[in-house]
Amino acid sequence: MMDQKSLYLVLFVLTWALHAVFVGYVVAGTAFALVRRSSPLAEQVRDRLPFMLGCGITAGVAPLLFIQLLHQRRFYTANLLLGPRWILVVPALVVGFYALYVAKSSKSSPRWRQRALAVGLGAFAFVAYSWSELHELMAADDRWRAFYEAGHRVYTAIEIPLRTAMFLGGAVALFATVTAWSADAAARARLAIGAIGGIAVAALAGGVLASRATHDVAAHGWLYILIAGAIATVAGWAWTWRAPEGAGLTLATAGTTIALVAAAVVREAPRIATIETSDNAVVAGGFVVFAITIVIGIAAIAWILRTIRA
Amino acid sequence: MSGIPHYPVNDFGPLMKGLVIGGVGILHVFLAQFAIGGGLLLVYFERQAQKGLVDARTFVDGFFKVLVLVSFVLGALTGVAIWFTTIAVGARTIGLMIDEFHWLWGTEWVWFAIEVCAGYAFYRCSDRLSNQARLRLLALYAAAAWMSLFWINGILSWQLTPGDWVTSHGVWDGFFNAGFWPSLLFRTCVAATLAGLAACIVINTMPFSDDERARRAVLIRHAARLALPMAAMPLLAVWYFAVLPADSRGWLLGGSMPMMMFVAVAAGASVLIGGYVIVGLVFKRLYINGATATLLLVLAFAATGAGEFVREGARKPYTVRDTLYSTSIAPGEVAHLREVGVTVDDPYPLRDAAQYPQAQVQRGALVERALCDACHTMRGANALVELSRTWTVEQARLNIAKLQKTKGFMPPFAGNAGDVEALVQLLEWEIADRPPTWPTSDDPGVLARIATYLAEAPP
Repeated sequence: MMDQKSLYLVLFVLTWALHAVFVGYVVAGTAFALVRRSSPLAEQVRDRLPFMLGCGITAGVAPLLFIQLLHQRRFYTANLLLGPRWILVVPALVVGFYALYVAKSSKSSPRWRQRALAVGLGAFAFVAYSWSELHELMAADDRWRAFYEAGHRVYTAIEIPLRTAMFLGGAVALFATVTAWSADAAARARLAIGAIGGIAVAALAGGVLASRATHDVAAHGWLYILIAGAIATVAGWAWTWRAPEGAGLTLATAGTTIALVAAAVVREAPRIATIETSDNAVVAGGFVVFAITIVIGIAAIAWILRTIRA
Repeated sequence: MSGIPHYPVNDFGPLMKGLVIGGVGILHVFLAQFAIGGGLLLVYFERQAQKGLVDARTFVDGFFKVLVLVSFVLGALTGVAIWFTTIAVGARTIGLMIDEFHWLWGTEWVWFAIEVCAGYAFYRCSDRLSNQARLRLLALYAAAAWMSLFWINGILSWQLTPGDWVTSHGVWDGFFNAGFWPSLLFRTCVAATLAGLAACIVINTMPFSDDERARRAVLIRHAARLALPMAAMPLLAVWYFAVLPADSRGWLLGGSMPMMMFVAVAAGASVLIGGYVIVGLVFKRLYINGATATLLLVLAFAATGAGEFVREGARKPYTVRDTLYSTSIAPGEVAHLREVGVTVDDPYPLRDAAQYPQAQVQRGALVERALCDACHTMRGANALVELSRTWTVEQARLNIAKLQKTKGFMPPFAGNAGDVEALVQLLEWEIADRPPTWPTSDDPGVLARIATYLAEAPP
């Protein structure tokens, strides 16, 4: 039987991975729509972006809840150390969200669409960088006191741009995976090139990050699963590039799913030793209601999908 | 070490922290309740459309765009913002709420996810759905939005009326607390009213020509019906007041003038809105233009703001009744802090230590940060300098040492005699406009007197 802390950890990892799919789509999709401008696929992406951001924010609430159970003291401390600068992620998201609606609107001129997408991309890149900054500051407890005393609001470490680059590279691969299923052959081939490039960037940034790590990066073998998943993904995209209508996309999707979950585990592994779940949380009731509601939720969302496809 | 979590404290300048959380919180509550009421309204109008009400279908599609653009975007993001600002203002309080109710919070999240999915599905696909599918999708959206309120309402009302949870720590004892039902029903009425008022604005923006005013009037009369539950609000308010702890009720009904005024603003604005909508629009069948409807919605925002301020203020001196003071210190920890002092375990130094003239005033600044900063500023909102300016030094010692007796909505002072004197010296130095030098107050007789005051006001 899984204990409560392990359950929180599993739920955190899975909900974070789900959140990453949506926000990855939003960041890379905004860039794609900005660069590809008037292509039919860019139009389709632009149309979907507000919905995907809504899903990303909604899906992000769950890992936000679980991280407060796993790393409450570190999460709150890092929040407070960055202070008002951290809370800037909220207005940045508001600006980005409305920018996506401007870009989607049929009333907007092409120039305004481009401007809106550029603003949105800047806002989302800022949010991505901010989360990396918070992640690193959470771990840097030996620097908290001096950081606070000096009145700093921006935490700097080489790991932050590396972590951001790793996410952005992964975001391109996630976006390509989601988008390719509804793209034509020519677009799929282009997405394949983008996905391989994104994986290369993520792998390079991840490699440098791992080389600087002071902990065991193998994460009980999950790193090898991640590498295997990434290789399968690259193979799938290479196949798709050569034969866009073939089964390469299925392989790429399977590889991406495996790599995403494994990456989420590898990301969390160094923090397992610092989990500080309170005794009150471990004995808190209500799990049965949550579990039943999850089942209801899955059924309701399945019904929604069936209804709109009918 | 005491085991009390210490977090870095941020200074928001002249803005009281309560104002920061209040501003974000009021906006979020307003938008969230609008979304919930919007669901009910849309189900009602969709049903009317399918019964043959002309223009109802056009209204549903137009209103839904407003709902998505305002509520889905700002509502969802102010929800995230309220989480971050709550951490900034009272990290230990939100941590306790998460620890105790995380599964119920997760349950609320699932309903919110259903609400978002149903909402976006309708937004994107409503034009190609059958009547039955449209109605079912809207009903699911409305039900999920209301369920989201159901779950979050229990957690929020627990803060003021935790009831048996204080001793049992049972999640259901806390969730179905005395304030749960009146608060849930009251908020449901508010949500329906907000949606009705917003609908009147949207109806006025619909592209009817001037000679088709009658068509608008029909829609307005239907939208106004959503505000009919307002008639029950006085009764629900009485119920809510009846279950409040006696001291909290006392503050709201005259014990605290500002709190009573906020109650009056909330009640007065609600009566005005209710009177106009129920008597004027529903029974007298009057017409309402966009400007008046906007004015009523702004009035409703004021009433919501005042109501939320009352809800927050009624908890004083706690953030969670009988469990955590507004200083983020538990009642059971005060005795220990009175022995060892409140600054001894604080790992964070002052950011601006050099600006203080000597060590005792620096300690006073640490005490102020730990015990006062959550609700006061030095010279801005709820300023300590202005609250204590007319006190004599000895009066300041007495008032601070016996804080919970000085003002009933203040928590007991959670420090030792040295902390009281350090805080008094900080206040005197600030009142004297921060002179470059300041004498240290180390008379053993003074500390002994303060110790006596503290002993006379046990936690």
